Amino acid sequence: MREILYLQAINEALAEEMSRDETVFIIGESVQGSTFNTTVGLVQRFGPDRVMDAPISENGIAGAAVGAATAGYRPVADLMFGDFIYCCMDEVLLKAAQWHMLHAEKVNVPLVFKAAIGGYSGLCNEHSRCPEAVVLHHPGLKLVLPSDPYDAKGLLKTAIRDNNPVCYFYHKQLLPMTGEVPEEEYTIPFGVADVKREGTDVTVVATSFQVSLALGVAAEMEGKVSVEVIDPRTLEPLDLDTILESVRKTGRVIVLDEDTLRCGIGAEIGMQIMENAFDFLDAPVKRVGAANMPIPGGVLEKTCLPQPQDLANAITDLLGMDRFELAVQTAGVKLL
Amino acid sequence: MRFKKKDLVRLYRNLVRARKFDQAAIRLLGEGKFTSFFHAAYGGEAPGVGGTTFLRQDDYIYAHHRGHGIPHAAGKGADLFSFMAEHCGKITGSCKGITGFHACDPEYGMLGAGGTIGSAFPVSVGWGLAAQKAGKGQVAVCFFGDSSAGRGTMHEGMNMAANWRLPVVWVCENNGMGQFVPIKDAYPLEDIASMAAAYGMPGVVVDGQDVVAVAEAVMAAVERARKGKGPSLVECKCLRFRPHVEGAPDWVHAEVRPAEEIERLKKRDPVTLYRKKLLKQGILTEKELEKIDGEIDAEVQEMERFCETGAYPDPSILQNALYAD
Repeated sequence: MREILYLQAINEALAEEMSRDETVFIIGESVQGSTFNTTVGLVQRFGPDRVMDAPISENGIAGAAVGAATAGYRPVADLMFGDFIYCCMDEVLLKAAQWHMLHAEKVNVPLVFKAAIGGYSGLCNEHSRCPEAVVLHHPGLKLVLPSDPYDAKGLLKTAIRDNNPVCYFYHKQLLPMTGEVPEEEYTIPFGVADVKREGTDVTVVATSFQVSLALGVAAEMEGKVSVEVIDPRTLEPLDLDTILESVRKTGRVIVLDEDTLRCGIGAEIGMQIMENAFDFLDAPVKRVGAANMPIPGGVLEKTCLPQPQDLANAITDLLGMDRFELAVQTAGVKLL
Repeated sequence: MRFKKKDLVRLYRNLVRARKFDQAAIRLLGEGKFTSFFHAAYGGEAPGVGGTTFLRQDDYIYAHHRGHGIPHAAGKGADLFSFMAEHCGKITGSCKGITGFHACDPEYGMLGAGGTIGSAFPVSVGWGLAAQKAGKGQVAVCFFGDSSAGRGTMHEGMNMAANWRLPVVWVCENNGMGQFVPIKDAYPLEDIASMAAAYGMPGVVVDGQDVVAVAEAVMAAVERARKGKGPSLVECKCLRFRPHVEGAPDWVHAEVRPAEEIERLKKRDPVTLYRKKLLKQGILTEKELEKIDGEIDAEVQEMERFCETGAYPDPSILQNALYAD
C-alpha cells in the first residue's frame, strides 16, 4: 500500500469531502497558504469562496461557522493552533456544542473545528496545549484525536459528514509521520477504539501523539513487559468497551494523556474503569499526563509534558518491577 | 421602500402585538407562570417590529434580548404562542421548554438564540455567509443593544461582514442603558452608528421610537444588502420603560431610576406616537384602531390558554437530544 504523510492525509480528506459535497467549505486564518500545510493547494482547486482566508478573529470564525452550519452548510473552521480555541469559547462551547439540544433538535450544527494541538516543540503555553478536557466538559461536541495518517484521513471524512459539531485535533508532532493510506475511499466510524499493539501485562490508553510515545516505550520494553496500547481515536464518543476488555485481560491500566493531569481524560477514563471493571484490577489505575502548571517553553518544557521515561516508570511501578532507563527518555522534535 | 396603507396597518398590528405580548409576559412572570427570567421590551418595541415586518420569510434574524425577541418575532411573523409557551416551560414551547426563553422558528428565519450578549454578531456573519452562498437574495438582520457594542465580537463580526460584502444588516437598539450602566458612561461618542465608518459601511441614526422611521431605514439597508452592496448599520435611539430585568430594581449605576423620569420617557411611547400619526394622516380611524387592539387582546387571551393547557416536558425528551442523527 502507498504511504503518505499525516498532513497529506488531512489534506486529502478535505479535498475529497469538498469535491463530494458543495456545502463543505473551509474558513480560518491563513488557510489558503496553510500554516501547517494541511490545506495547501485547496484554494487553487476550490477557489477563495470555499477556502476563505479570514482576519484574525477567532470569535468571528467560530461563530460564522455556527451560523453557516445552522443555515445548511458544512463549514470546517480552522482555528490554526488548538490553544486559540480559548479565544472563542462562547462560540465553541456554548453555541456550537449546545445549540442543537437547546433548540429542541430543530436545528443541526454540522461543522468541524480543526486545530493543531500539542507540545514537544518548545512553543510555550499558548502554542502547545491539548485542550481535550475543556472540550469534553461541554457535552455536545464530538472529539477526534487521530494518531496516524490512516486515522487522520478516515476520521476527518467522518467528522465532515457528521451532523454535529466535531473538534478535530491533529497533533503538530505527527505532521511529518508517514503511514499506509489506501487510495480507495474509506471512512472510520466514531467511537471505535483501535488496539495499536497487543499485550498481556499492562494496558496503556493513549490518543494522538501519545500513541507514538506509548508504542515506542512498549517496543523498547519488549521481552520485559508485554504492553497493550489502546487508542480510543475519539474521546467523544468513547469506546469504553474495548478499554474494559483490555483491562479484564491485563488487570493493570495506565491512562497516558498530554493534557494537564488535573481533571483530565486520565481522571475520567480511570474513574469509568473503576466504576465498570473494579474487580478486574490488580492495581489502582495510574495516570501519566502534563504537570499541573502552565506549559513552559524552552528546555523546561520536558519537565512538564509526559515523557517516555515517565511512562516507563509508571509501567514498572505498576508491576512492582525495578525501574530502568530508556535509551531515549524524552520525546519530540523541533517544528521549525 | 414606499409604504402603502396596508403596510402601515400591518406595522401597527405588529407593534401592538409586540406591546401586548410583552405586557402579558411581564404579567405572567409576576404571576409565577414563567420558569425563567424576563427582560421586557416595554418602550423599546419599535426597532424590533420596524426592522422585521417587511423582511422576507426566508430572511434570517438574530433577535435582541429585550422582550427576548417578542417584537422581532411579532414582526417576522414567527409563532408567538410557542414562544410564550417556551417562557412558561411547556412542551408546546418553541424549544419544548428546554430553554425557557429562546425563540426558534426555522420556517421564519429564526434559527435560534443565545444568552451571552454580543454572541449575535459572529453567528449573524455565518447566516450572511450562508445567504451569500445560497444566492437567493436573502439577508441576515442582526439586532443588538448599545451595550453589546462593547464586545469584541462586534468588531470581528462587522469587519468580516464588511470585508466580504455579506448581506447583513446590523440594527442597534440603543436604549441608553446597558443593564445598570448608561451608554454615555460606557462609550465616548454620542452615536454607535459612528462605528460604521471603521468598516467602510453606511451608518445611520434613526428615531427608534418611530416605527416607520425604523422600517424605512432598515429596509433601505436591506435592499442595499440584497443588491450585493454589503452590510449597513442602523442605530435606533430608543427607550426602556422597565428595569433591565423584571423583578429587579431599575438601577442606574448605584441609584434607582426615579419614577418621574419614566413618566417623562413615556411621553415618547412608540405605540401612542404611531397611533397619533395614523389618526392624523387619516390612515386609520379611532374605531379601526380599537378594532385591531381588540383583536390582539383576544389573541393574547388565546395565547394564555395555549400556555396554560400545555404540559410540562417529560425529562425523557433530553435523553437522546444531545446529538443529531
